[in-house]
Parts: sequence; C-alpha cells; structure tokens
Amino acid sequence: MKHLKLTLAAAGLLALSAFAPVAAQDAPEPITLTLAGYAVPREAYGDIIPLFQRYWLDQTGQQVIVLESYQASGAQSRAVAGGFAADVVALSIEPDITRLVDAGLVSEDWKDDNPYSGIVTQSLVVLAVRADNPKNILDWADLAAEGVEIITPDPATSGGAQWNILGAAGAAERGFVPGYEGETAVADFLTALAGNVLVFDRDGRESYLTFERGIGDVAITYENEVIGAALAGGTDAYVYPASTILIENPVAVVDTYVDQNGTREVAEAFVEFLWTADAQRAFANRGFRPVTPEVRAQYGLAEEGEEIAEAGAGAVEVNASIVYPAVEDEFTIEHFGGWSEARATYFGDEGLFTRIAAEIQG
Amino acid sequence: MAFDSTGVQTNPRDTDAVFGKWGLRWVALGYLTMFILVPVLVINVQGLRLGLDVFWESITRREAVSAIWLTITSSAIMTVINVVIGTLTAYVLVHYRFPGKRLFNTLVDLPFAIPTMVTGVMLVVLYGPQTAIGQFLSDELGIRVLFAVPGIILALLFVGYPFVIRTVQPVLLKIEAAQTEAAQTIGASSWTTFWRVIFPIIRPAILTGALLSFARSLGEFGSIIVVAGNIPNRTQTATAYLYTQVEAGNLQAASAVSMVLLLVAFAITIGVDVFRWRRHA
Amino acid sequence: MREISPRSPWAILLIVIVLGYAGILFIAPLIGIISAAFADGLEPIIATLNDPSVQHAFYISFALAIGATAINAVLGLIAAWVLTRQRFRGRRLFDALVDIPFVFSPVIAGYAMIVLFGREGWITPPFAIVFALPGILLAKTFVSLPYVIREVQPVLETLTPEAEDAAYTIGATRWTTFRKVVLPEIWTALLYGIVLTFARAIGEFGAVSVISGNIEGYTETATSFVFRALNDRNASGAYIVSLLLCLISVIILVLMNVLRSRVVRKGV
Repeated sequence: MKHLKLTLAAAGLLALSAFAPVAAQDAPEPITLTLAGYAVPREAYGDIIPLFQRYWLDQTGQQVIVLESYQASGAQSRAVAGGFAADVVALSIEPDITRLVDAGLVSEDWKDDNPYSGIVTQSLVVLAVRADNPKNILDWADLAAEGVEIITPDPATSGGAQWNILGAAGAAERGFVPGYEGETAVADFLTALAGNVLVFDRDGRESYLTFERGIGDVAITYENEVIGAALAGGTDAYVYPASTILIENPVAVVDTYVDQNGTREVAEAFVEFLWTADAQRAFANRGFRPVTPEVRAQYGLAEEGEEIAEAGAGAVEVNASIVYPAVEDEFTIEHFGGWSEARATYFGDEGLFTRIAAEIQG
Repeated sequence: MAFDSTGVQTNPRDTDAVFGKWGLRWVALGYLTMFILVPVLVINVQGLRLGLDVFWESITRREAVSAIWLTITSSAIMTVINVVIGTLTAYVLVHYRFPGKRLFNTLVDLPFAIPTMVTGVMLVVLYGPQTAIGQFLSDELGIRVLFAVPGIILALLFVGYPFVIRTVQPVLLKIEAAQTEAAQTIGASSWTTFWRVIFPIIRPAILTGALLSFARSLGEFGSIIVVAGNIPNRTQTATAYLYTQVEAGNLQAASAVSMVLLLVAFAITIGVDVFRWRRHA
Repeated sequence: MREISPRSPWAILLIVIVLGYAGILFIAPLIGIISAAFADGLEPIIATLNDPSVQHAFYISFALAIGATAINAVLGLIAAWVLTRQRFRGRRLFDALVDIPFVFSPVIAGYAMIVLFGREGWITPPFAIVFALPGILLAKTFVSLPYVIREVQPVLETLTPEAEDAAYTIGATRWTTFRKVVLPEIWTALLYGIVLTFARAIGEFGAVSVISGNIEGYTETATSFVFRALNDRNASGAYIVSLLLCLISVIILVLMNVLRSRVVRKGV
C-alpha cells in the first residue's frame, strides 16, 4: 500500500510536469506558433514548416516551434471560434474564415492587402476511380448511373465536400452533364448523385482514405489528394471531368489570438512565407496548384502571352513529373455569384443539397 | 439508475459514526454536481434554448429519428445476442473444466480494457475490403461488414461482450451445488434443471448485464466512428449523428438528440426496476 | 462450486460454441492487429517508438489518465460512502446521475465543456481549459466517473456499521476507524474500480477529440494519434500504437483478474 501511494504521488508530479507543450532544445526563448489547418494539406505543411523555421532562425536568430492541428475545415473553424487559440488558420473554403471574421477574431480586411486575396493554393475537383476503371467512369454523368458507389465527405463538416458538390452542380448548370437538362437539371443530378453516396466521412482526407481502402467505385475528391496518393504509392487512377470547379484555399492570421499570444510578428511572417517561391513549389510538389505567376510558369500553368519574371532558384526544386493539365471548362465560385450566394443556395437550412441529403431514401 | 445486481438495499443511516455527515456529503454532492449535473444541465439548456417547437423539430427530423432508431435496434440486437451467449459462457465457465480455461476467463475482460477506437481499427484490419476475410464475405457471400450495419453490431458486440458474463458468473458460482444435484437426482434432465432451477435465480443478473451492455452501447463512440458509414438514414448511428451535428455547428440539434438518448436510457432502467419490483412483490 | 469435465456431446458442443464465438469476436481481431503491426518487421516499430510525438502522446495519455483516476478514486469513494450510508432528500436522484457518463455520448460531454469554458462560454476560467490539457483531464474524468462508485457501493452495502460504531466508541479517530475497519473490506473492490477507471480514461477518444483540438505534440493523446496516423497514411504507425494500447490493456486485464478472483472469493 505504501508503494502504491508513492507511485501515485510520483505519477501526480509527472502529470503536473506534463502540462507544457513539447519543450524546445537549447535556443534562447523559442517562440511557439500554432497552425490550425484543414485536413488535406498536412504533408505540404510538413515540407514547408522546416523551411520557415530555417528562414526565421536566419532572420531573427530565434527558434520557432510550430504546433500543428488538422481536421475538417468547418470543424477546425468552429474550434477556433470556440476558443482554440491558433495563430494561423489554413482552411479549405473562404466561409470558414468569414466565420472567424464574424466572431471578431480575424480582422475584416484580412485579404484586402494581399495580392492573391488570401488564397494560397488552388486545386480542381476530380474523380478518383479504380486502377482499371471497371465501371468506366469518365465524367460527372457516370456518377448518377444505377449501382455506382460514391465516396465524398460530408458538406456539413468538410469544406472540400462543398467544393465537390458545387463542382457537380456547376457542371450540370453549365450543360456538361448529358441527360440532365432544363429547369430541374441540377436538382435531379444532385439527387441521383446523393442517392449513390455510400460513405459521408467528416473530412476530405478520411473520405479519400476510405476509397483507398477499397470501398466504393469512385471518390469525388481534389487533384491534390489524388496526386498526393500517387506520390505515396497509391495505385488508383483519376479522371478530370470536362467541366469542374477551381478550388481556392485561403489562409489568415487570427488577429485576436496572435495579440493574446504575442505571436503577431512570426505569424504574419509565416503567412507571407507561404507565397515565397520555395513554399509555392513545396505546395506544387504535393499536388496543389501554385498561385504566384512565376511558380505557375515553372509548372506549365502560365497564361498564354503572360510576361513572367523568372522564379529564383531556392531550396525546393521543381518536380517535373507532376503535370497540371487544363480542363475544357474550368469555373470558379464566381459562377455561383460568390460564396455567400453559393452557400445560401446549396448548403443553408433551406439549401438545395441540404434538402436532398435529408431525403436520401434509407 | 442503480445497476446493482442484487437489488438489495441496506439501510443507510442518518448517524454516521465515521465521518461527519455534512462535510463528506457536500464533497460528494459537489463532485457529482460539477462533473455530471452541470454538463447535463448545459445540454438541456442548449437543447431547449430555441424553444419547444425547435426542440421538437430537431428530434423529429428524419435523420435524427433514423439515427436514434438505428442505435436502439442495433443495441437491442447486440443485447439479445449478448444475453444468450453471455449466459452460456458464464455457465460454461462455472460448470465445466477444459484446457485453457483460466486464460479464457482472463481474456473475457479484454473488451473492457481495450480502447474502443482500437477496437474499430482491429475490425478494419480484419474485415476491411482488402483483407482475405473481407473479400470472401463481400464477393462470395455478398455481405458488407464495414461501413454497414453488420459492422456496427459487430463493434457493439465486441464492446459489450463481458457485461452479461461478468454479472451472471458470480451468481452462478453462489448457487449451491446441492440445489442442482437435488434436482438431478429426482430425475430432471440438465436442460430442465437449467430452465426450472438455475434460470429463475440468475434472471435478475442477466437483466442487469443486458441493461448495462445496452446502456453502454447507446453511448459507444470510438469503435463506431471507425466502422460506420455515416450515411444519414442508413448507416449513421446516434453518436455519429451527434458528432456530425457538433462538428457542423448545429449544437441545438445535437443537444436535443442527446436528451432523447438520455431519456431512452432512463426509461429502460425504470422499466427494468419496475419489472424487478413486481417480481419481488 | 462444482466443476466437471464435459461428458455429453452437448456439453462439448456448448464449450465449442462459447470458445468459437469468443475466437471470432475478439481473438481473431487481436491476432489481426498483431500481424498488421509486425507486417513490415521491426524497423517501423522502432521508428514509431522513437517518434517524439508518439512518446508525447503516450505521456499525455498516461499522465492525464492517472490524474482522472486519482480524482475519481478519492471523490468516487467519498460519493459511494455518502450514497450508501447517508439518507437525504435527493439521494436517489444523485445515485441515478452516477450512471450518466455510461450512456452519454462523449462527444456531447466534450461539447458541453466548450459551452461552459469556451471563448464565449458561461464561465471564463483564469487559464485555458478547452483546447488545452485541463479540458482533456476533465473529459477523461467525466467518462470514467461511474466505475469506482459502482464497484465500491455494493460492498459498502454489505458492511454493517456496528463494527465502526464499536471502534469509534473505544476512542478511535474517524480516520483510524475508516482505515482499520472499512478500508480492508472495500480495498479489493476499490482497486478493481480504479483499474476500470484507468482503462476507460486512457482509452477515451470521443470527448477528447472534440475538446483537445488534436494539436500534435501538445494535446494529442495516444488514441488521437492512432486516428491521425490513419489519416496520415501512416498505417503501420497506427497499428503499432494500437498494439501498444492493447498491450497496456492486457496488463490492465491481468490486474483486473487478480482483483476479480479476490472479489469473487470474498463473495461479493
């Protein structure tokens, strides 16, 4: 009994000493930066953070410890709004940052001074299929066929899922889904599609992994996920729909928390660093379309006739094996008149997809 | 919801010889209030925050009703299987000698000790579509285990396995051997012995075990979240529904549904109490 | 107790059914996870064990599970005592409350804590609770609360207060009376409750995943690590940490059984 008491006491002390983040090594007064990201860019940030740590050490002589958390964009945004004091948020969709603006955590002009409007990466909604494409899925219309099992995340929690649904809806609206025409084209197509969904995971990564584990015939996912899967040795194939939406992922500094944490300087430097050539190439090498013109040119994404400054060489080299093809009809969120319109039309309480999801037959 | 297997109530006394009455009482009630009453109150306030109409609407939404129904039916199926197999297992453990019995008796508690999320991972490793067993089940027999109802029931069976065994076993042990011997010597078959002599004695313990495993599976989360498909109206259990609603920010709806689950648990407990009380009377 | 060797074919069949069911239900998955963890040899195992975030996750899991167990052992014992020995208005209500963590979705429990202690919560705590370690401690304490009370209560009910009265009247202090008269009787049940509490606390995932923010190397617990590793395509890491958690479970199991045999022998 005495021994047990001693052990318990020792354990108690242990427990107390654990109430601190992983300790730093030997640098004088390291600073801690907390990054709250959406689910899929974790590998890319895994490449970029060490680059930033070196950059910051060179600039200031100070070490940065970066604490990372990744979960579904909507869930992450709500956690930050609920008190998760992250310094930087990297989310899937702009409305998840707008929520933080509304909560008074991010200043209203967060994207005004930024040449890229706060967008750090782009991607496309694509369709992942089995290696030999046994169901012969080539475009959106094939998803509505009888007996096709679809994997896509839940739009209620995942930002990526909203991109997916908007990709499908936009393609139908723009006349790229044969068999679905007229007034009710979008509603009919989305109803057929939703009826074929087999698993609604909570975030894009979980959803794609469900597909990788052999569940379902097709996953609606993002170009960066399928490229990332291929880089990780995955054997599944993917197809680009003729018409699809351009995904744009924002980042922002959380003003209230950086002021509380005393991390504004390093947080702002980190966010700016994400648009440097090295960071943009690091994103591109993980399957995200870069946004800065000179790095876009390095990956064959330059607009025709565009005058572009040569991107300087850096720590990250271009991976020439990654190709970013053009699709026949690429559209953006502006097709829907911007995010607030798109959200109200599709995902609000009376939104089209909300109603369809509620009616899926059991 | 007192889950004691004996149903015996001894007399709590007003005079407390060992400790002062009030000091300890305030500590105990403070503890229960802080850790249980307050969270429950928070959920009730949240659930009713927008008025009774909204509360009613959020618990009668189709997805909510089917999620609660799926949880109750799969828990009920699990409980029935558990009652049968648990009683048999307890009987075998008490009455028969066989090689490896001590080890087996130890392993029975394993599901209590394994984190339920790990249970989910184990089921994916074993029954996933890329495994031999998973492929055999889906290709040859046409049974989908993961992301479907069988996976949910399997996870609940794993998590609830020890309850009935561990409530019935001690009662069986206590039944005097003489009692069964007496019955056997007057010519009753062992089946009749079990049904007429043993079963009435262990029935309260079976009920307690069943109730415990049912209650436990209403709140089960870790394993379900790994194996369930989360499709509204089809494979979304109540806990998965709650998780989605919390993550999606529909907090009033989540609170309302969890109030219903609590009510279900209370109703069943009270039902069992009444049943027991009638039998005693 | 009278144990016999099975003679009739029915008895043998019964044993086969019982063992076969257990084999399919949980021995097969156990073997599955073991072979999955060892699938690529020892190298990934060593790499996983050396991963600082794995070490930190286990550290957090252990430290906070021990903390939650300590809280529930001390306060649970007091609560069990008050609920069995004292009679007061509302006693039955409080007794019924004890089982709530059993049926309450842990996700909702986590969410209730955010409502209470979050940024715009009802209470503004002097230090961060949610999305920090104290929140995880609270979550683990909540989910594992019933075990000590429910194990100790039935034993306390069988004790008669006369011995305590006697000790008390011959001049023993309250503490001595408790230690010398009551504690020896309930010791085994208390320890059993403690082991169950610890098992539940260390394995908790739902409430923690809502309340912790899952920050790697800070609030990430061992079970959260498994979940993240699966999403990181680090399947071997997930399986190895799962197996380690199983190993801890087996130790817990052995403890439970030693204690159980003592409880059963005492006729409780």
